[in-house]
Amino acid sequence: MKDHIRVLIAKPGLDGHEMGAKMVARALKDAGMEVIYTGPRQTAAMIVETAAQEDIDVIGLSVLSGTYMHYCSQVMDLLKEKGIEHKPVILGGIMHPQDLPKLQEKGIKGLFGPGTNLEHIVEYIRNIALDTRRLKK
Amino acid sequence: MGKRTAEQLLQELNLRLREWEESEVKERLTGKGAERFHVWYGALANESKPETRSGSGDLSIKRVYSPLDTASISYLDEIGLPGQFPFTRGRDPVGYRAWEWPLCFYTGYGRPQDTNARLKKLYEMGARELDLAFDLPTQLGYGCEHPLSFGEVGKVGVVIDTAQDLAEAYSGLPLEDLHIGTVGNCIGPWVLALFYVLGERHGIPPQNLHVWLQNDPFKEYNGRGTCIFPLRPALDLAADTVAYTCNHLPLSWEPQYVTVSMLRWGGCSAAQEIGFGIANIIPYVEAAVAKGIKIEDVIPRFNLHMSADNDLFEEVAKFRATRKLWAKLAKERFNTTDPRVLGLRLTAVTSGYRLARQEPLNNIVRLTMHMLAAILGGVEHIVSMAYDEALALPTIESTYLSSMIKVLLHDEGYIGNSVDPLGGSYFLERATVDLEEQGQHWYQKVESMGGAVEATSKGYYLEESAKGMYKLQKQLGNGERVLIGVNKYKRKETNIPIEIFMGNPDAEKLHQENVVSMKTKRDRNKVESDLGNLKRIAEGKMAGKDENIVPAMIQAVRDDVTVGEIFDSLREILGEYRPVIVF
Repeated sequence: MKDHIRVLIAKPGLDGHEMGAKMVARALKDAGMEVIYTGPRQTAAMIVETAAQEDIDVIGLSVLSGTYMHYCSQVMDLLKEKGIEHKPVILGGIMHPQDLPKLQEKGIKGLFGPGTNLEHIVEYIRNIALDTRRLKK
Repeated sequence: MGKRTAEQLLQELNLRLREWEESEVKERLTGKGAERFHVWYGALANESKPETRSGSGDLSIKRVYSPLDTASISYLDEIGLPGQFPFTRGRDPVGYRAWEWPLCFYTGYGRPQDTNARLKKLYEMGARELDLAFDLPTQLGYGCEHPLSFGEVGKVGVVIDTAQDLAEAYSGLPLEDLHIGTVGNCIGPWVLALFYVLGERHGIPPQNLHVWLQNDPFKEYNGRGTCIFPLRPALDLAADTVAYTCNHLPLSWEPQYVTVSMLRWGGCSAAQEIGFGIANIIPYVEAAVAKGIKIEDVIPRFNLHMSADNDLFEEVAKFRATRKLWAKLAKERFNTTDPRVLGLRLTAVTSGYRLARQEPLNNIVRLTMHMLAAILGGVEHIVSMAYDEALALPTIESTYLSSMIKVLLHDEGYIGNSVDPLGGSYFLERATVDLEEQGQHWYQKVESMGGAVEATSKGYYLEESAKGMYKLQKQLGNGERVLIGVNKYKRKETNIPIEIFMGNPDAEKLHQENVVSMKTKRDRNKVESDLGNLKRIAEGKMAGKDENIVPAMIQAVRDDVTVGEIFDSLREILGEYRPVIVF
């Protein structure tokens, strides 16, 4: 049974602004978690494949180009297909206020916009990862 | 009492400073002088920090500056007059005294006709520069039909697949009265071709158009991400764009804005901005010269695109130090005293990363700070964010206001009355010299690695950015750095309603249908021939043959070859970008 929490930080789509994703990745690493950062231009299929293969606890998506609904839908659908929809997905970036309830309906567990405290994200991920492991037992 | 020498005056001042620290300052800070320094509302018992640092952290800031701090700075050699080496006080001898800030806009969304509606409105509102923000499929040379483009078409900018799309975006606008252009950093030759053909189709000769291209692949490889090819081919294409412009197009066509602002936004400091920015100009200059362009024909067409950040004095010092350092380095490196080479044009973009999503109206004040710094720093062009930038694409009203801020500062604020008005401030002159020194250190660091191309390939800039940004995030997290509305004066609810922009959800589908239909009406033979030509030139480049790709691009654009077709062909030959993963 693995010890460290394993987090996938991914950038779906064409948006190349990586700094937000990198900062979260770095903070998680400093907090003792194992982090895989995919870099930019990932497809939903690539992300879900990595999540499955790397035994990821939490999937973090970073999107600043307004395409989050498109990619969140695809990722959630593919996770279901693969039978790993219990893995929590969180989203960071720029989201239109009108879309927040829709994203929650799709099953996105956490939404983190600009100004979110890094420590807050680290704690959130730690808690949701441990809760999910407990439930899966 | 006889006249004292300058030396004697400084000695006396030195003594006085020490006495002052022991008396007035000590009294004020220990509460001893409660009656004399009757503390009123804002006053605190202690200075906020034992050590004060500038906004980027580069400078240690003293309690007060005096002639002691500038005694060693020679006015004639280090500061001089505006328009003269070393250009500390500005490149233009009369600064903003003969100046009018034009209303400039960078905007785009959805299909060309959607953007056209906004451009027309902005023109009616007084716009004289209308630059297009392209969407990611366009900037990446994928076009609207590529599988990776689905969901992305028309999202962060307008989709442009062909010359017809560009014409539609600018339809009904008096192109000869406007400055037009776009960012398009890894698609430079194609963008040049697009605007060239736009002029052709309207029967407007190039000398009657004002076109700017950012055309800087370094920007993308070092923090923005719209990279298509590996680095070296990308730089060669950018250099082709510059060379073609210098050889065939009038001065009103600006082929390159070497952009370092994204490094600052990514976490680098002010001094790093100076040093890395100057280091990044060098390969482009050398590439243009290698393609046969004289250096005095290249530099006047360049701009160094920097950021305008929060700390006003540090920023003003930064702009002055940049001009000064470039002048000195270029003089030595290119062995010239030609002012066309030594005077560097600066552009400033307001620091988007300093804006907050919470309490967005506060961003108007932040933007004003940035623009004030840029103007007092003597830049020649300002690109500004809108206050709702962290929420969505800006609305037309927030776009308009963003450009109007600098007009208000200039027209109503009297800050352009004298050139480099803050010059002579003890603080500013000391800060300018300190930043110049630090900037030179970073420039030499990059040069010692083999230059900007090596530094970029190794991910050095990305590492420095991540280091700096992580530090900044920690400071925001523990309150050491204030962000109102986020870590200080947080409000539970914001009851200021602000309209947030929503695009057209059908734009992607409608545009894709348009492109499919357009393709059926083209001359297929011409398309094949054009693509064949482009591939031939690309193959030649891989084999070390230096043929400029722009003429072939122009022909392809004339024949309605799409951006996706063009860059798919080139990707086959030149290869694809592989990101450096650094965090």
